[in-house]
Amino acid sequence: MGLLYRALQQLREYDDIAEISEIARRYFAMNAFDGVLTIIGVVMGNFTAGVSSSAIVISTGLSTCMAMGISGLWGAYLTESAERKRSLDVLENHTLSDLSGTKIGRASRAAVIIVALVDGLAPFAAALLVLSPFFFSTTLGEITISYYLSLGVALATLFAVGAFLGRVSKGSLILSGLKMIGAGLVAILVSHLLDGR
Amino acid sequence: MGKIRRLVLDVLKPHEPTIIELASQLSELDGVEAVNISIFEIDLRVENAKITIEGDSINYEKAEHVIQENGGTVHSIDEVVAGKMIIEDAETPQDALR
Repeated sequence: MGLLYRALQQLREYDDIAEISEIARRYFAMNAFDGVLTIIGVVMGNFTAGVSSSAIVISTGLSTCMAMGISGLWGAYLTESAERKRSLDVLENHTLSDLSGTKIGRASRAAVIIVALVDGLAPFAAALLVLSPFFFSTTLGEITISYYLSLGVALATLFAVGAFLGRVSKGSLILSGLKMIGAGLVAILVSHLLDGR
Repeated sequence: MGKIRRLVLDVLKPHEPTIIELASQLSELDGVEAVNISIFEIDLRVENAKITIEGDSINYEKAEHVIQENGGTVHSIDEVVAGKMIIEDAETPQDALR
């Protein structure tokens, strides 16, 4: 218990120094949004193509989830390490000392790992959530139900992300959620219009 | 060896961690009874702090380690008081000329 408390205390301290939560929040919302919209594209693509096998939807969806997760993790790790190294160098030029072994250096490294994890896991988890009805398609019966349910979950997830942003900005949760849903509806509509049949 | 009872340090440090955090950590060191940190110059990324530490047995190395751990650098040791009690610097005729 004491160890966990100390770890949380240290994390809070690193957060104060490196402003981790602010950046992580931004990455979380941005990438969860990306994740949902991408998977809407995949689900709608399968739907308009008339795919009736849930295994195919799951397979294409999971591959997309994995790719988004890896892309987020890798991309954020590289960009964040570059940015953090740069700001640490600038600070070192001012203090004229090596800060890598100090609390500031450790906070900077922790920020890179946390932000990369958030950036990778947010789109992966959000997309997986949208895909979840297809895992129960045998129980749900007709695959069309899974498609509709999946799109419903996607819109609900978008609303949740929007509400989260509304909470961050201390604005209207509902309005912010509805704005996000709007993007999802546009994606669904455009995918539907692209249906050549 | 005589015990150090007061240390006045000129320190250059980044804005974060704050002087609240630094003062709190220094005050937790063994032999330290009180800490005072005042900022006398602020730059874009760093600040100059005057750190006064009083106690019955201050360990300079440990104090310096805490400062460095928080990203600070000791520029100079401006005052040291050691011994059985704290004394202020003696008045000299040269002081009157200031």
